[in-house]
Amino acid sequence: MDFIAKIAFKNLFRSKLRTLVSIAAIAFGVMIIVFARGIVLGMIETIYDDHIQFNSGHIKIVTEEYQKRERLLTLNYPVDGFTGEGVGGMMAELEKIEGVEMVIPRLKFGAMVSTEDELVALSGWGVNPGLELAFTDLENDLVEGRMVRPGEREVVMGTALLEKINRQVGDKVTIVYNTAFGSLKGSTFTIVGRIESTLKLLNETVVYLPLDQAQALLEMEEQATELLLVTTNLKTVPRVLPAVRGLLAKAGAGDRYLVLSYRETSDLIPLMDLSRIIFNYIYLLIVLLSCIVVFNTMVMIIRERTKEIGMMTALGMEGKDILQLFAIEGAFMGVAGSLAGAVLGHLVTAYLGKVGFDYGQALSSMDAEILFDTMIYPVASAGNTIFAFVFGVIVVTLACLIPARRAARLEPTMAMRE
Amino acid sequence: MALLELKGVKKIYDQGKIEVPALRGIDLRVGQGEFTTIFGPSGSGKTTLLNLVGCLDKPTAGTIIFDGRKLDDLDKKELAMIRRHSIGFIFQSYNLIPVLTAYENVEFALRLVNKYNPRETRDRVLDILSAVGLEGLAHRRPNELSGGQKQRVAIARALVKEPKLVLADEPSANLDSKTSEEVLAVMAKMNKELGTTFIFSTHDPLVMAYARRLIEIRDGLIAKDQRREQDAVLN
Repeated sequence: MDFIAKIAFKNLFRSKLRTLVSIAAIAFGVMIIVFARGIVLGMIETIYDDHIQFNSGHIKIVTEEYQKRERLLTLNYPVDGFTGEGVGGMMAELEKIEGVEMVIPRLKFGAMVSTEDELVALSGWGVNPGLELAFTDLENDLVEGRMVRPGEREVVMGTALLEKINRQVGDKVTIVYNTAFGSLKGSTFTIVGRIESTLKLLNETVVYLPLDQAQALLEMEEQATELLLVTTNLKTVPRVLPAVRGLLAKAGAGDRYLVLSYRETSDLIPLMDLSRIIFNYIYLLIVLLSCIVVFNTMVMIIRERTKEIGMMTALGMEGKDILQLFAIEGAFMGVAGSLAGAVLGHLVTAYLGKVGFDYGQALSSMDAEILFDTMIYPVASAGNTIFAFVFGVIVVTLACLIPARRAARLEPTMAMRE
Repeated sequence: MALLELKGVKKIYDQGKIEVPALRGIDLRVGQGEFTTIFGPSGSGKTTLLNLVGCLDKPTAGTIIFDGRKLDDLDKKELAMIRRHSIGFIFQSYNLIPVLTAYENVEFALRLVNKYNPRETRDRVLDILSAVGLEGLAHRRPNELSGGQKQRVAIARALVKEPKLVLADEPSANLDSKTSEEVLAVMAKMNKELGTTFIFSTHDPLVMAYARRLIEIRDGLIAKDQRREQDAVLN
């Protein structure tokens, strides 16, 4: 075996250019895989993060009616405790559940700001500032000023929204909204912070204000439109879900509220999971395309060495030894190409993972409600690189087995006659 | 007991609708240590006979007994094992592996036998290279050797495993007469020293001059089988 491997290795240098072209083709395919997987992983990670941070938490508690009308930002179906006693007590009970680290209330409502020539629609989010900063990446996006403070009539909004309404940090803004009882009101706030986010929703639509202020203005004391539960990690969600449902049922609120995991509240996550499977087939296709070059090389090599194969058989080599010889030669090319491709792919992905790339232009017409980040940061993970390397080696070796089998089946007398 | 015995061996090649008889019924016995030449015109069946004797092909009819074993009953793997351990081949165009050195080409045959430890392998390879006059050239690749030197490497490769039989198909065809003579002298020496049986297929009168037994084949049949007490060159 070691001598066969030695011959296979030396055979690589018979036609250096041909070997190099084959290795380059494999390297290219594997590099594309590392990079493409890095992008997909980065995209999926971002989608998960954005969805969890700005929509669902790990577990979301809403009323069934609110869930149906969520896009309308209705105030008629709030979370107001187990039996209407107020959300504070309910949050305290939920925090006691093992695995729950945080309970975050949000009060979302539709609002407008009038500029000289148009009415700009926006989404008001009454929040607990401390919890929001602790749970989300908002602090990184807060490029100017500070986050709102409880008890203060102040707001934080995105750069694009500020530009649209022609305001800046420090200015006052009057926001028009409907209270929970349907009366139209307007309140003036001080803009204390500016968010610059790659998430269209935060940049163009959301206005953060303190929860207590939102509750007071909307006449929704001790109410929120949703509660987000943050668990120790994603893996604990399936364990925490029944405990939350059990608590609500025990408190007589089992029928009022929906307890939804982060997976149940996103259309994008199942789509991404499906795309991950589809992409796996695309990776296979990419490597198979690279394999055509290697396959062609192997066919040429075997044609050229037919007489040599005959000689080896005459000397007593068996078909399986010949198969091994060519399979190992292919595997060497597979290893060299896959290694080069994996390393190059990792470096490119790592670099782009730092600087990211902006495809906001392509998403400019997308609804801000869809939590799709305009920046992609490909993930350069060791797992991804190792996967692409192993994948490349296996597929190339398997592809080489086809011509190698042909070589192994050659009759010595026929081969010698060539 | 003969090393090799052929009884009524026929070989017919099936070329579509036409059947081409290459051997029409060969009866032959070759003893241990013989230095035999098979000659005859092109297409007479020399190479076919060598292929059958070398376990590279099977006869259409008849029986071949090699070293007491009936070859007709053996499968591919068993035939490969006989070739690996008991038969050495020398080809007209040397058929050395170009990426291996002279040493490695010879080592290749020994590695297949897989009977010797690394030290024994090394000693055997160097000894046989020295015996065929290639001392100091062990680390040269085939493209760095002359035709005669390449054929010596091929001889060393055939002999290193100490086979019972060496088959040489036109071993001098690509060599000039001086080199042919040198190479034949090496083989004759090996035959005498090791007692290895040699069967040549050739047109070359020089090769025939070295032989102690001359078998002429015509139209797939043995036309003449002549033994000589002494060869015409070394005596």
